[in-house]
Amino acid sequence: MSKIFSTEADPIVSLTKVSKRFATGTLALDEVDLVVPRGQLLSLIGQSGSGKSTLLRHINGLHKPTGGEVLVMGCNVGDAKSKELRQIRKNIGFVFQQFGLVGRATCLENVLTGALGRLAGPRYGLVSYPKALRREAFEHLERVGLDSQAFQRADTLSGGQMQRVAIARSLMQQPVMLLADEPVASLDPESSAQVLELLLKISIEEKMTVIVTLHQVELAIDWANRIVGLRDGKVVLDRSAIGLTQEDVMDVYRRADRSNDLAKQEAEFPKSVASLSS
Amino acid sequence: MLSAPRSTKRLKLGGVFFVFVAATIWSWLYIKMTFSTLFGGFDDLWNLLQYMFPPRFDQMGQVIDATIETLWMALIGTTASVILSIPLAFGAARNTTPNAATFAVCRAIITLARAVPTLIIAAIFVLAVGIGPLGGILALALHSIGMIGKLYTEAIESATEAPRDAVSSTGASKWQTILATIVPQATPTFIGAALYRLDINVRESAVLGWVGAGGIGFVIQTALRGLDYSRALAAVSVIFVVITLIEISSNRLRASIIGEQSAVITKNQKARKKSTERDHKILLKAVTLRKLNLPWTSERRLRISAVLFYAGLLILALVTIKIPIISSFGYLDEIFKTSADLFPPDFNTARPEIIRGILETIAIGFVATILGLLIALPLALLAARNIVVNRVIYSGTRLFMLAFRGIPELIVAVLFVSAMGLGPVPGTLALTLGTAFFMAKLIADTLEEVAPEPRDAIFATGATRSQEFFAAVLPQAMPNLVSQTLYLLDVNLRSSTVLGIVGGGGIGFLLLSALRVIEYQTVGAILILTFVVVYAIELLGSWVRKLVE
Ligand SMILES: Nc1ncnc2c1ncn2[C@@H]1O[C@H](COP(=O)(O)OP(=O)(O)OP(=O)(O)O)[C@@H](O)[C@H]1O
Ligand SMILES: [Mg+2]
Repeated sequence: MSKIFSTEADPIVSLTKVSKRFATGTLALDEVDLVVPRGQLLSLIGQSGSGKSTLLRHINGLHKPTGGEVLVMGCNVGDAKSKELRQIRKNIGFVFQQFGLVGRATCLENVLTGALGRLAGPRYGLVSYPKALRREAFEHLERVGLDSQAFQRADTLSGGQMQRVAIARSLMQQPVMLLADEPVASLDPESSAQVLELLLKISIEEKMTVIVTLHQVELAIDWANRIVGLRDGKVVLDRSAIGLTQEDVMDVYRRADRSNDLAKQEAEFPKSVASLSS
Repeated sequence: MLSAPRSTKRLKLGGVFFVFVAATIWSWLYIKMTFSTLFGGFDDLWNLLQYMFPPRFDQMGQVIDATIETLWMALIGTTASVILSIPLAFGAARNTTPNAATFAVCRAIITLARAVPTLIIAAIFVLAVGIGPLGGILALALHSIGMIGKLYTEAIESATEAPRDAVSSTGASKWQTILATIVPQATPTFIGAALYRLDINVRESAVLGWVGAGGIGFVIQTALRGLDYSRALAAVSVIFVVITLIEISSNRLRASIIGEQSAVITKNQKARKKSTERDHKILLKAVTLRKLNLPWTSERRLRISAVLFYAGLLILALVTIKIPIISSFGYLDEIFKTSADLFPPDFNTARPEIIRGILETIAIGFVATILGLLIALPLALLAARNIVVNRVIYSGTRLFMLAFRGIPELIVAVLFVSAMGLGPVPGTLALTLGTAFFMAKLIADTLEEVAPEPRDAIFATGATRSQEFFAAVLPQAMPNLVSQTLYLLDVNLRSSTVLGIVGGGGIGFLLLSALRVIEYQTVGAILILTFVVVYAIELLGSWVRKLVE
């Protein structure tokens, strides 16, 4: 299926028969093959628990595979030494659903932590970073439209603003690739659109390779030039996003439809009880 | 069947309750406590206080010097303890420890430090480094690791994981990540715990003089030995005032750090609004001018002045206190030598005395906890603002409780011993009072946290106040009450190991005698047994607490 892509030269990520069995016994990835050429915008879809986050976390070595091989920029992430791993991570921005900001630190400091990979030795507080880096961090904040919040504590921001700070932190790494794990799942529709648009604009401007996981199929199709679907840790869909309709991808969610609805109901349940009792 | 089903958990809880009651009765008999000695004791103390009154403030120079020395000892000791605790805590926290061996060693050091009371460490150190504040400071530093290290470990472990994943994903090294994500999250707790311990250490250093380890304790002891009661009372009242002031200011400081607002400085609304506005302007200006340093907001100025104030105090303390700072490292040799002399421990030479001492220590702990609880309950009801809704009553009771907590337990014990003579009963009474006022505060706080909705629901059924109390308040507060009682039992057992040093019964007396006659190996045996008892109670406590939750 992925033949059309693997023929391209110089892949930035290539996974061969990657499996992951967690200590709990869950098989989260099941012989996944995936080759991502430079400059591609790839959307990863699949129901909850299908292994999307796990897959992303293998690419920058937050997880180690229990089978198969993860090659990133020619380096085997699975058995990379911590120094090599840092080198790889430096080149890969990672945007998380929960932002991962340090709430008590200012936005500027949070952005600066993105430069740690370039620096030797631990840093604490704004003054411990060189002035040039501080200026750079300021510019990145400006780029995501939050320069006026530079000295505000990160926990005083709205969700959308936090995610933009997190994006600025990734930019600070000067990455060649960006991984985004449901970057807008905890945001309201308006900030979602804003954040996604920003992410897309920056990715294109910087000619970055991007892999993003999204819950909303529409968004996934709009945004990407390739769609990969996971189900139970297996790749069940892999094709160009051009001309793809929503029906085409529903297959990925097929078996899940019922349980998905159930899960949704479950998620709503505590809320409805709370509204009853108040 | 209309009674609650008998789950194993309920059975276990019942068993614990039964053992607790049985242990208390046994303890009561073991220390030969009777109701007449109980009430007679308070009578004797009252008489002594009347006899001491009025205090004589004629040798104030000496008292003030000793008070300042007490404060400096606490400050230096706590600082040293913080410095020692930080690396230990990072080694002992599951999420930062480099390896299993480091983890085990750091945990062991923290636990050991907690189990041996300051006064006992001080008594041993004084032998190694001589009379004076140095032994006291080292003892404070070491023992405080137990609490500071534990709280710091918990603070590190409770830092959220998300920022850590995010920052290590940028290619930062392990320690870069820890410093950038965990340390900022843990800092308020770090400072809060240090302040809290400083508060405790001022109390502790006030009694270290009893074993010759510096501070005002020596002045009080000398006055009491010379039957110079009015001067003793003068010294006690000075340290009482100082301790109370420190408790109040440390509470406020901690509240403002943990609440993260500068409530202390800008009290009234108008001033606060004005400073917020100014901060806003400062921030705006910094951003428009592309400043690359943190702007001087009121919060930052406050923080920097606090740091400077602390640094100034510390330097003053180090310069004025009479200890050889540099050469004090040379005393480490002495300390190692003395510590080595404690081994191998000798359980045989004084076997009957050791057994009696340990049993007495346990008995004192139990009786004091239960008596203290009985006094604390009514006090707490008066002090909780959501139970007796009368401002004068609850604030009055709170003030009264705060005032009483200002006197270190061991000083109360000294007074009881002076009034009643040597033995476990005066020691028990002193701990009882200490427990009562501390416990009353804890219980009142718990009661105030009880959720109001169920209470309203029960009132709405037409229940009386007392019906409502038993139906809505007590059940909600129960788990906390149980764990607080256990905590106090734990605290009291630790305290009762040192009561003997001032003649208040328990193993401490034997320990001091053994030190005096240079039976170091018996001292080693006593230390080990003390550790075992304290640690066993701690384990028991956490087990029961899990049952209750
Ligand atoms: N650290 C872990 N330890 C054990 N099991 C894990 C761990 N992380 C994920 N899993 C399991 O692996 C499976 C895949 O999880 P993953 O988080 O990758 O799914 P996902 O597609 O990202 O789901 P979601 O859309 O809910 O984020 C799930 O069954 C999950 O429970
Ligand atoms: Mg996920």
